[in-house]
Amino acid sequence: MSDSAATLTQDRQRLELSALSAPAVIFTVAMIAFPVIYTVWLSFQSFSSTGNQSFAGLANYSKLISDHEFWHGLWVTLALYVLSLALQLVFGVWLALVLFHAKRLPGIVRSLFISPFMMPPVVAGMMWLVILDPSLGAANFILQSLGLPPSDWLASPTWVIPTVALIDTWQWTPYVALIVLGGLQSLPPSVYEAAQIDGASPFKTFQRITLPLLLPTIVTAAILRSVDLLRFFDIIYITTQGGPGNASNTLNVYGFRVGFEFFNIGYASALMLTLTAIVFGAVLACNRLRGAVAW
Amino acid sequence: MNARMFAARIALPVLAVIAFTGEGRAADFDWKKFQGKTVTFLANNNPVAQALLTYKDDFEKQTGMTLKVDGYQEQQMRQRLVTVMNAHSDEVDVFMTLPSREGEQFAAAGWYADLSAMAKNEVAKEYDPAGLSQALLKAATFGGKLTSMPMNIEGPIFYYRTDIFKKCGLEQPKTIKEVEAAAEKIKACDSSVTPFVSRGLKPAVAYTFSNMLHNIGGSYIAGGKSNLCSAKGKEALDIYSRLLRDFGPPGVVNYSFQQISALYRGGRAAMSFESSNELRTVMDGGARLKDTALIPFPAGEAGQVPTVIGWGMAVSSYSKQPDAAWYFVQWATSPAVQKKMALQGIAPPRPSVATDPEYRKWIDEEPVRKEWQAALDVLATKGSSEVGYPIVANPESREFIGQAVQDLILKQKSVDQACADADKALDALIAQK
Repeated sequence: MSDSAATLTQDRQRLELSALSAPAVIFTVAMIAFPVIYTVWLSFQSFSSTGNQSFAGLANYSKLISDHEFWHGLWVTLALYVLSLALQLVFGVWLALVLFHAKRLPGIVRSLFISPFMMPPVVAGMMWLVILDPSLGAANFILQSLGLPPSDWLASPTWVIPTVALIDTWQWTPYVALIVLGGLQSLPPSVYEAAQIDGASPFKTFQRITLPLLLPTIVTAAILRSVDLLRFFDIIYITTQGGPGNASNTLNVYGFRVGFEFFNIGYASALMLTLTAIVFGAVLACNRLRGAVAW
Repeated sequence: MNARMFAARIALPVLAVIAFTGEGRAADFDWKKFQGKTVTFLANNNPVAQALLTYKDDFEKQTGMTLKVDGYQEQQMRQRLVTVMNAHSDEVDVFMTLPSREGEQFAAAGWYADLSAMAKNEVAKEYDPAGLSQALLKAATFGGKLTSMPMNIEGPIFYYRTDIFKKCGLEQPKTIKEVEAAAEKIKACDSSVTPFVSRGLKPAVAYTFSNMLHNIGGSYIAGGKSNLCSAKGKEALDIYSRLLRDFGPPGVVNYSFQQISALYRGGRAAMSFESSNELRTVMDGGARLKDTALIPFPAGEAGQVPTVIGWGMAVSSYSKQPDAAWYFVQWATSPAVQKKMALQGIAPPRPSVATDPEYRKWIDEEPVRKEWQAALDVLATKGSSEVGYPIVANPESREFIGQAVQDLILKQKSVDQACADADKALDALIAQK
């Protein structure tokens, strides 16, 4: 076959492959690109309470800067993010180690350990709302039975963020544990054998071998949880609707209310795009970290 | 031509022709006119819609139409509606609406079809549009357009435990001051119960707070400005928040109807100020059937000005089959269907149903039902539909009312500061076009 004939065949194959994959590519791009472009366009529009629409330029973005609720929402979002992520990573690694070493643990117990994250967040929210009700809930009953003072939990502006973080930690720690467990199972046994020969204590082995080798896996878990945590919505909406006052009003909850309860779709779009940028920023930062800790 | 001649020669014949035409149309009315069509109904999954949809098969049998129900919880229903309407979609033909909350807003956005002509010309003989509560029809009329037909009548009422009152030597409270005095006495007399409970959840507060404000003689707007910092406004904020803070359950800032009804039904509250719609939930299981009395909320300095609202059924202005949609609205708000719903505890927006012998028999079966109906009669005659600010941004206005009340319950601000902050935000909302 001459060179030109071979090139022609290659071009044809390339064309055929492109034609075959085109519908999937077009569909995917449309599904991702269209909503994003539409939201960007909406963020430059102004909507009155009656739905009248006009071009607003950067007005929605400049409003963000002077909007106290936006900054408060950002603070609440970041506070929940840092607290929840820290708790989930610490307990997730601990749970993974327990599951890894307790080889004889019956399957049913393992399933129970990891079951919370299989529960829909709305169901989890409803369940915790009942448990944490200061008057009727089991949480205060247990506290009082132990001689401890009751708490207002979700109804206290001081305690609402730690309480929501605890609910989320209860639900998503098993998910982190499963990821870390996968990482633990893939660690090379030879390193542990060498450590054993050198007489390293279990704590030193964990500190000097397990943790450094697990770091890429832990960062992967952190990336996956970051995306969810920065978009914190469902459990808050079910349990507090952003209250008491605005104490748990995350950016996502605030954006939802601005858009769907007050019908200011333009400003809500600007809020959501800002949140998306924050999520992207966090993921990029975590990715860099993953690159730095890779082995 | 003088007035008498005008009446004799022109006006009376025209009115007669209109009346005759209307009669003729009623006689020609055919429930099967839209046989084979499908009407989509966006429903709020509340007791009103639940009671109505029990009879969905009857509608389909009577009209030959198919009813497609798209049911959600209240907030999710609005979210879906906003999406559908902003897209000018014809996916929804009929939707449930609260004129007191979103009426101004939806009407200004042009989301409601005008039902005036259909309610006049396209009606079955037995429909009797004039028999519906005129107050609710008026509340659903914006800019001369009738935007929805009332499905029920409801409002916050005062539930109290007669056994606890008796034990503590209390009489039925006649005034707001007596409610507070009773709460104080119950707190000392029976520490196992919460003396008073009502709505503390921010977006839900306006429903009950409005009744308190109006009873005290306050108003939301005066001279085009927010009026919460008026003497009456501050008094209402102070008393409402004090009742919840000093005599309410812990965590009351997260309380809406679900928590309130659960607390009262479980025997853990002595007084509850909550919706008349909650009767069925509160009486569920029968524990409260014999030890509860119901009255409209006790009077303030302006007497009793109870809050009265009703869910309505509206036809979407983007529906491609408004006539068929109207047939569903008409069936759902007809005397026959509203009577059936009434027997399930949905207060009828038709006085004729309220006096129906079968309904009266149901009412007379239990003293608490009699009191419930008596309270509703007061709501129907004296009630105000003003829940939150009578402005287009009414839903947003409720946020600021709720915020002020929560600030006081949580002792985060003084009354002066809470009302001043609320007024500032609300003035900006009022100024919005």
